[in-house]
Amino acid sequence: MPDHTSNGMQCNEFELLLSDALDGVLSGSGLDRFQAHSKTCKVCGPLLAEAEAGRNWLKGLTEVEPPASLVNNILASTTGVDTQRLRATVRSPQPRISWWEHEQASLLEPIWATVRQPRFAMSFGMAFFALSVALTVAGVKPADLRQISLRPSAIRHTYYATQARVVHYYENVRIVYEVESRVREIKRNVAPAEPGPRQSRPAIQKDKNDTTQQPEQKQERNYSQTDNHLILASAPLGTSVIDWSNPDPSNPDLPVVSVTTYRRFV
Amino acid sequence: MEDVQVVAMLVRRCIAGDAAAWEEIVQTYNRRIYNICYRFAGSADDAQDLTQEVFIKMYRTLSSYDHAKGAFVTWVTTITRNLLVDHFRKTKQDRLTDSMDTAASDHEDVQPLSEQIPDHSAPPDAQVRSREVGETVHAALAKLSPELREAVILRDLQDMDYREIATVLKVPEGTVKSRINRGRAELARLLQRTYRQVM
Repeated sequence: MPDHTSNGMQCNEFELLLSDALDGVLSGSGLDRFQAHSKTCKVCGPLLAEAEAGRNWLKGLTEVEPPASLVNNILASTTGVDTQRLRATVRSPQPRISWWEHEQASLLEPIWATVRQPRFAMSFGMAFFALSVALTVAGVKPADLRQISLRPSAIRHTYYATQARVVHYYENVRIVYEVESRVREIKRNVAPAEPGPRQSRPAIQKDKNDTTQQPEQKQERNYSQTDNHLILASAPLGTSVIDWSNPDPSNPDLPVVSVTTYRRFV
Repeated sequence: MEDVQVVAMLVRRCIAGDAAAWEEIVQTYNRRIYNICYRFAGSADDAQDLTQEVFIKMYRTLSSYDHAKGAFVTWVTTITRNLLVDHFRKTKQDRLTDSMDTAASDHEDVQPLSEQIPDHSAPPDAQVRSREVGETVHAALAKLSPELREAVILRDLQDMDYREIATVLKVPEGTVKSRINRGRAELARLLQRTYRQVM
């Protein structure tokens, strides 16, 4: 808009007052200057006429009626509740509840809603099952719990007894035993052979001369074979025999006891 | 004019989960929001969708309303206006191919604007004539730039005062007045041009 001055009013000022003039809030000298400017200014005069016409057109527009389903759709998309159901709920008298019941409901209801879910129930059931299996394996019986003493010494005793039971159970498991023996065997095979006692050399030589093509038996197997061979270690009767039960050999009056022991080479 | 205390109470009840209070808000404001959307978007279908979107947004952000900062209706209108601006930006490409001969909306006869001008040789019933004039003005309104359109809709159709409009549009009051004047004048020029073509 050009900054043209006419009747003591600039066009910018005229535009600012245009809304007020159309609203009917302009009065006094301001209104007189405004009207005088509109009559003489070639830009502002038509602007006033057009603005007034446009305003009248718009005032002639009536409100349109929203679709009947609009409110229902809005409520369904926001609260998820159909209007009819909502109205029925509103009409029905609401029971009075105390603030304590209200707080209780607001606190417990979310927890209870979670617990009621099938997924939670299934998880809880699995956890209970796993716990009961673990207790059974550990040898814990619910009936025994009543008799448990809570004294420190009793607790310590229970701890060691349980530990021993677990170790015993573990070592008696067949697969553990087999794995351990295999590992031991492998270790022995990998480790360099220790020089054996001199007395055993002829026996080894003898074994090497064996032409039966049988694999050489291992030392420990030989030892194990001798487990059943009992070697009788006996002392001949006589005074020259050292009687270990009699620390004083110069005293022959003491009775000589023949001791026979069964020794096993280990 | 809304009672601030009543509306504040209604909002508090809504936030507390009172479905009846929310329904009261929907019943009170759906007509107003629908009309703003309809006049701005120009289509009844778009207006319905946009109105639903406005209420969904209101429902989600209701707790952010502070009655100390302004009237509830201003807050609601601001949400509406922001969504309309978003909608305008999204559909900008679609409108580039529109012409004055495009049907204005579902509320009007499916006729181009040039054919919606009343026939003066055979004066129709006053009610029908009024409806036709309204449809013509609505079609012309849709041709205004969005800045001018939203200003005249809020002022002349929703009767909001300049300060509230300035709050909604986030511009100074002087700018609001200027846009309203230019919007009215532009609308009048569009309608005069249309009538002149028919005559």
